[in-house]
Amino acid sequence: MFHVFKTFPNKIHALWDINIHIKKGEFVFLVGPTGAGKTTFLKLIYRGSLPTKGQVIVDGVNLSRLKPSLVPYLRREIGIVFQDFKLLYDRNVFENVAFSLRVVGTKNSIIKQEVNEILNIIGLYHKKNTNPHLLSGGEQQKLCIARAVVSHPLILLTDEPTGNLDPETSWEIMKLLFKINVWGTTVLVASHDKLMVDRAQKRVIRLEQGEVVSDIKKGIYAK
Amino acid sequence: MIRNILFYIKEAFLSAKKNIIISFATVICLTASLIIVGIFLIISLNIDIIIANVESQLMAIAYLKDNLSEEDIRKLVEETSKLKGVKEVYYISKEEALQKLKEDLTGHEDILAGMPDNPLPASLEITVYETGSLEEVTLQLGQYNGIEEVNYGGELTKNLMLIFDFVRKTGLGIIIVLLCISILIMFSVIKISVHSRQQEIEIMTLVGATSWFIRWPFIIEGFLKGLISSLIAFLLLSKAYQYFIKQIEKIIPFIPIGSEQEFIIKIGIILILIGTLIGIFGSMLSLRRINYEEL
Repeated sequence: MFHVFKTFPNKIHALWDINIHIKKGEFVFLVGPTGAGKTTFLKLIYRGSLPTKGQVIVDGVNLSRLKPSLVPYLRREIGIVFQDFKLLYDRNVFENVAFSLRVVGTKNSIIKQEVNEILNIIGLYHKKNTNPHLLSGGEQQKLCIARAVVSHPLILLTDEPTGNLDPETSWEIMKLLFKINVWGTTVLVASHDKLMVDRAQKRVIRLEQGEVVSDIKKGIYAK
Repeated sequence: MIRNILFYIKEAFLSAKKNIIISFATVICLTASLIIVGIFLIISLNIDIIIANVESQLMAIAYLKDNLSEEDIRKLVEETSKLKGVKEVYYISKEEALQKLKEDLTGHEDILAGMPDNPLPASLEITVYETGSLEEVTLQLGQYNGIEEVNYGGELTKNLMLIFDFVRKTGLGIIIVLLCISILIMFSVIKISVHSRQQEIEIMTLVGATSWFIRWPFIIEGFLKGLISSLIAFLLLSKAYQYFIKQIEKIIPFIPIGSEQEFIIKIGIILILIGTLIGIFGSMLSLRRINYEEL
């Protein structure tokens, strides 16, 4: 991101002059209080929103110049995990994960293989025919991660992945994210889970009122 | 490709099932408006048939003077045949004319009984390629020496055509209004369908489905609803129309209305075409833009 500004129509500045470079394969925490601009930051990366000023470059592509018709192809390189899960509750666990492969036209045999593999890794294989309603919060979050990474994206964006979870489950989710990072995926975690951030010992970018106030390798949550 | 099509169809059915009551209501509304469209279509097509029929019978009749020799008549037929716009010239002698009159007056022969001689003139029946040229041809015919008088069903026919034209145009207007309403119905229904599947659409945009990939299931859903509605409308209409024809033929035996299988199939094809197009257009309209931003 180069000199990125994001101002909403109501004149509120969500992001102010952001200059951040994230290398391929990095694991980065994005921390800060609610309303600091973390979610907007993530949105700019998957082009859920365009900057008011400045350039966002993802994998060599300037998103401001990306044709709308090419946005789907950018999204295929980015896995996204939301705090509110965004699962399909009228389909079972397997179908939820398979959905993201189906909509990009993957072959059925490959879908089966890939989905089973990822469900095994995250430990939900034994529940593949279960409806997401019947899963615990942690399991639902894992399912979201499975859906986001089943297509082997270059980048994984997660917004408060441990937001509603107990510390033990949260750490489990974190370990899963570390594992995905080890495969080579760049992972960005927006969080205000102090405990997790401190324990992880990874790069921490701190946002406050839309501005980067600190960017520390092996950082901690505290100022 | 086939894999994708299967996915679209599966999703289309899933979506229709999810909103089963609305789907049902849509089919009923569409069927109703397609039936009305169908009725006007039948009226309009029948008017076409009647007009064609009347036009084919339109001709000018030139009454000949009594003192013409056979040679004069032969010449006259030859010359009038060459007039611009004339299709055919048919000679009817005095005897044929009388014979025809006698046939027409079967049962009332006494009218003719008091006549000493054949009072009817010989005549030429002149048909034209286009009804519009009839007036012109009539004028030219009047200039021949051997012709006493020229007659054509002028004013009456003109008025009849005007009425038919009016009915046809009104029908067309009603059809267009109904089609717009039908497209709006389809538009709203698919909108509801899209709304109820907002979550799926959002996830699709997030995991990189192209906008057409997202649209297709809804287009298929619209197409299927249009198809089912038009089939029901056609079935009901064709039954009703066949019954109507039977009744009408009892009253007016030789009325030139479309009753052949071909005519009914033609109506069916048009209705199905209209129905499915409404479905497709309505869906496309409600999915003009797929939003990839500000999720």
